[in-house]
Amino acid sequence: MQIVRKVQKETFIPTSSMGDIAFLLLIFFMVTTIFREETGLPVELPRAEAGEEVNRELISNIYINRQGLISIDDLIVKVEQVSNLMAQKLEENPLMIVAFKTDTYTQYGVVSDVMEQLKEVNATRVFFNNDIESIPGLKY
Amino acid sequence: MAIVKRKKPSAAREITMASTSDVAFLLLIFFIVTTIFAAEQGLTLVLPSKKSEETAVKVKQSNIATLKVHESNAVTLDGDPIEINHILKATEDRLTANPKLVVVLEIHPEADYGLMVACLDELRLANATRVSLKTTE
Repeated sequence: MQIVRKVQKETFIPTSSMGDIAFLLLIFFMVTTIFREETGLPVELPRAEAGEEVNRELISNIYINRQGLISIDDLIVKVEQVSNLMAQKLEENPLMIVAFKTDTYTQYGVVSDVMEQLKEVNATRVFFNNDIESIPGLKY
Repeated sequence: MAIVKRKKPSAAREITMASTSDVAFLLLIFFIVTTIFAAEQGLTLVLPSKKSEETAVKVKQSNIATLKVHESNAVTLDGDPIEINHILKATEDRLTANPKLVVVLEIHPEADYGLMVACLDELRLANATRVSLKTTE
């Protein structure tokens, strides 16, 4: 019996479609990109495990930093102004969720005062932003 | 004087396509770097509205567990000091003993916000759905 020796074919990766793949990925990332609209305040969020994910479109942010400064839409506001601002936003989006981006070491009293303001205008859906992993050096 | 006619370029004009994928990749890298996906992590809570305060439900004292965060950032459950990582177990035990349990999370205004989130997180993990927030007067 004759043994047929296999002829090795030259292997090559077709690179002509690379540009197409790149464009596909490009379109995907262009569509999903959201640019940061507000800078807020620098905060170190507390860590929590039971956190849920919420759609960004429903969220309006309240930043509270360690010193108790409150920032809404990149404006530093007083506690008494929160209810008016949030009432306006609630009118635009009745399903709005107020997200607290608050520093771990902020005094709870500030957060509590802001929540009282929210209750006044029936903005009852709140959200406490957290990190999944703890920042080294944070107590909680 | 003779007028010299300019020669027309004979080669057909074309746009070089060889670098399109390079351009695409550059744009791609830019968008990969700037992308933030549209979701945020956090604990959700529904606050009682002004209306619901009028129609407040009374809860039996025996169905209430008070988790208190003090000014000094110490945590107590019904008066007994407790570590944060023990809250989960203690709450679970109480919930199995009494499924109607309502946990009142009472926080002193000068306590750290992070501690309140930590407590709320533990309560969520213990499946305590009926939680109410209270601020120490």
